[in-house]
Amino acid sequence: MAEQQAETVAEIDKIAASVSSLRQSFEAHRYICSDQIATAVFLAYQLRKPILIEGPPGVGKTELAKTAAEMFALPLIRLQCYEGLDESKAIYEWKYGKQLLYTQILKQALDEVLAGAQGFTASVQKLHAFGDIFFSEEFLEPRPLLKALKEEDGCVLLIDEIDKADHEFESLLLEILSDFQVSIPEIGTVKAVSEPPLVFLTSNNTREISDALKRRCLHLYIPFPEPDIEQRIIAARVPEIPPELQRQLVAFIQELRTLDLKKMPAISETIDWARTLVLLHAESLDPKLVSDTLNVILKFQEDIDSVASEVNALTAKIAK
Amino acid sequence: MDRTISNFIRALRNAEVRVSTAETLDAVSTVELVGYRDRAHLKRSLALVLPKTADEKETFDACFDQFFSFQDVRGETSQGDADGEAESDQQEGGEGEGSSAGGEQRPRQRGGKSKRKSKQNNLFQEEEEPDLGPGPITDPNSSLGKLLMANSRVELSMAMAAAGEATQVREIKIFTQKGLYARRIMDEMGLPDLNQEISDLRQAPTVPARRLGQQLRQRRDFLREQVRDYVEQQFLLNADVSGKRLREELLRKVKLSNVEHRNFRLIQEIVYKMAKKLSTLHSRRKKVFKRGQLNISRTLRKNMSYDGNIFDLYWKSVKIDRPKVFAICDVSGSVANYARFMLMFLYSLDEVMPKVRSFAFSSDLAEVTELFNRNKIEDAIAKTLHDYSGGSTDYGQALLDFKKLCMDDVDNRTTIIILGDARNNFGEAHADVLKELYDRSKRVIWLNPEARLAWNTGDSEMRKYGAYSHQVEECNSLMHLERVVSNLLRQAS
Repeated sequence: MAEQQAETVAEIDKIAASVSSLRQSFEAHRYICSDQIATAVFLAYQLRKPILIEGPPGVGKTELAKTAAEMFALPLIRLQCYEGLDESKAIYEWKYGKQLLYTQILKQALDEVLAGAQGFTASVQKLHAFGDIFFSEEFLEPRPLLKALKEEDGCVLLIDEIDKADHEFESLLLEILSDFQVSIPEIGTVKAVSEPPLVFLTSNNTREISDALKRRCLHLYIPFPEPDIEQRIIAARVPEIPPELQRQLVAFIQELRTLDLKKMPAISETIDWARTLVLLHAESLDPKLVSDTLNVILKFQEDIDSVASEVNALTAKIAK
Repeated sequence: MDRTISNFIRALRNAEVRVSTAETLDAVSTVELVGYRDRAHLKRSLALVLPKTADEKETFDACFDQFFSFQDVRGETSQGDADGEAESDQQEGGEGEGSSAGGEQRPRQRGGKSKRKSKQNNLFQEEEEPDLGPGPITDPNSSLGKLLMANSRVELSMAMAAAGEATQVREIKIFTQKGLYARRIMDEMGLPDLNQEISDLRQAPTVPARRLGQQLRQRRDFLREQVRDYVEQQFLLNADVSGKRLREELLRKVKLSNVEHRNFRLIQEIVYKMAKKLSTLHSRRKKVFKRGQLNISRTLRKNMSYDGNIFDLYWKSVKIDRPKVFAICDVSGSVANYARFMLMFLYSLDEVMPKVRSFAFSSDLAEVTELFNRNKIEDAIAKTLHDYSGGSTDYGQALLDFKKLCMDDVDNRTTIIILGDARNNFGEAHADVLKELYDRSKRVIWLNPEARLAWNTGDSEMRKYGAYSHQVEECNSLMHLERVVSNLLRQAS
């Protein structure tokens, strides 16, 4: 076990030794990333700091964490945030049913335990001697965050869409993010077993994340990709696409992003579109094809309407 | 601690990137990890540690480029040093040719250039050759003179930085101080002694001494240039924003009607910041609700002390209570100077608070919420002013319009803010409509840009309207506005 662990750690160390090796390793896992992203993972690993990833939806924030887990061959523990998420869902919960059941069963045993005790004080003292058995690890149900800390070989912890959770929840995270530990009043402080988890937090910026949280994290902003990176992403994800179509497709999407749209098409949309076009056996973009498949890349009728009128001009522009 | 990094962080803070002490420590350990060698790598790494929003990242980029290019000029990296020196040396040489009034004429050869570039920290020596010949040269007496003749670029810039530190050049606030600080630094470095020495040497009997005087003069001029650049950099890094902060502070207090046109952009920023601050401050309040889903675990847990008999219930749902605000803004001629700012504030408020509905009127009232949502701030304000500011003020009509438009939406959680001077051109006041609003809504707040003394004079209907407002405030500076809105949000939540 220990040997295996040492092996994994050495492996990870080797990958995370430099930015370029990280980037290559990411590419080998079909995640094409800029130097900035690779640097972020590099620093996160070297400095043992969580990364807070922000950026428009669909640029590969969650994917980065998933790929990192795959690349380091670590288990991925994911906590999806939503409004109303609290510590009983995120950190730990007591097994109430079990606790209740045990108290009912043990009622009978109580007489035996207390046998021989004279008076109330003596009985209570005798009970104290048994300690808080009902609030021990036996009755503790670990939730994602606690699970991540207990993972022996380390893990990748993904806290997804932190901006969807309540403001209070951020404060709950502070302890685990800065010290990799959780305090449970009844038990004490639980620390990361050996390797602290590699933590990724993602946010779509629907609200401002508090300074206290940001201060504890590296902050990575992933923008829409440059044309050449986007082309490489498409090539990695949809390898069967003809090169000419791939170029046109990326150029078209890049043009779209310069327009005033309600929701810009992100990388995930570009990939979907590439897959769609491959399915349709398209060789190159023509206005009719684009108009028919606009709903793959644009998610608002308003946007589709405004782009539909310009499809001709756009396709002519990218055909060059 | 690493001096360079702490100076850089200081510059960042000046550029309004908020960097905490913890982040400073992170930056230091980052630098330890990545080192100064690879500039791009350093920049990418620090960009992850220091700036924490997209805006801050932009500022960071600019700051980093400026700050670390400065290091090159100062000569702390050897590559930049060689190039920079060769260039400034050439320039200096050119000057020397033109202004060699008292000294000897020196034919200059361009051929020396490549040679000069190849040698670091030893450029002054090179100039000597075509001059008076490689003859002996006397040693300078003044400390600055020695430093200049020592040919050590690094020592010189260190001395300059030390003098800068001693004269507290970082405290520079406005650009007119640049000359002053440059002079102080030169003085600190020992310029008076050097000047004395130079003028003494000019009358010196021996050639080597005269040669020294000429050398020193050239180098003094060169140093002066360097110091000027240094101060300029310090000014850009440190003063630009302190000056801005000073201006912001003043602008908050000045009467809105007196704000000059060139400051509009700045005001806009302040207003936006203010609105944002206010709304984050107040949007966090929540009410625990007495209904919703049963929080089973919490209920069970709380009731364990009752032997598992459940009679103390806990509910899951909490409700975030955000104020619902209707803002009505008078945009007629009489308040034209204020209307722009009020609209600006409305617009900003609209961006940061989810439920603001805005209305504008002079004679007829119309809702501008949609207009605000669809346009950029300048366009939105210009359009509003263009579309609605034409008529003569008629508060009565505006209130009637408002009643028709959205009286049904006004409930006991609504706050209504009216921005206007209540000057009704002696028309029908229709205070009864306001009374109805007063009865239905949570609060009616009237913000009047006129000074209290002017209320109720002439055609002002402030007395009538004031009777049906929960709160009447004078509001003609950003400070007033901030206070009023903060109050409003506190009570609304």
